[in-house]
Amino acid sequence: MHKKSDALLGKLLKNWVNRHAPPDNGRARLLWEAARTSPNKVDLDLFLYRPQYKSYSSSPSSDWAQTLFTWMNECSFQGSLKVRLI
Amino acid sequence: MSQGAAVVEAKSDSQLIFSLQAGSLDALGILYDRHRGLVFRTAIAITGDSEAAADLLQDVFLRLHRFAGHVDPLRPLEPWLYRMTTNLSYTWVKRRQRWLRPLEDVADWLAGARKDTPAYQAEMDDSWRQVQQAVLALPLSHRGVVVLYYVNDLSLQEISEILDIPVGTVKSRLHYGRQALKQRLGLLAGEIMPELQIEFT
Repeated sequence: MHKKSDALLGKLLKNWVNRHAPPDNGRARLLWEAARTSPNKVDLDLFLYRPQYKSYSSSPSSDWAQTLFTWMNECSFQGSLKVRLI
Repeated sequence: MSQGAAVVEAKSDSQLIFSLQAGSLDALGILYDRHRGLVFRTAIAITGDSEAAADLLQDVFLRLHRFAGHVDPLRPLEPWLYRMTTNLSYTWVKRRQRWLRPLEDVADWLAGARKDTPAYQAEMDDSWRQVQQAVLALPLSHRGVVVLYYVNDLSLQEISEILDIPVGTVKSRLHYGRQALKQRLGLLAGEIMPELQIEFT
């Protein structure tokens, strides 16, 4: 009885915990934060100028202005640079 | 998976720690993928808060990155991760108790009437919430031992080394924690909530 209820308790707690999952963006968030605080600046370059979610080459040629604008904004965000368009 | 990626994934923790000490972020990413479950499980079981667990997951691996030079690559990494996760989770719980408990008491008092509503009753009837409440009602020191033992399947000796307490203390905390949980969850009388029974089949 003791062992049975013990096994049941273990399963219960595991099932409760397994209802939650780590966030999907955890890895990207970690690596970005680690790169930002890393003394090794070469690592940060890995994240710059490398769009992670979009393929710019697939944009139609007529969208070049929008593509350029998006690219500049993302690069400025990733590199913590401020781009001011006047 | 490419051959190169397979070689990287096959690297041992020890090799990855050496790489991390040399500044490799790829090594950090692989270690994260390999051990994030362990850290997240432990953090959420101690804090009972998924957002806090996600933040603690980040914090543990950022500390691994920052203090990689102090980690011995020739020793297993898991105990270091367990120790860091439990310590940070304890800190989070204590801080929350200190700052938020008084605010929560006021909020409960203000929302007193809400407890009569069907929505609130339905929320409280949620069986998983009962499990969470039973775990969170344990004293923090008992909770840590119970989580490491039942959720992570660690031995008494391993828990003793991770928490830096004698094995006898681990046994004692586990005994009281186990009894309190079983009592709250109705396991002593051989009962179990119907919703939870489904999960075992």
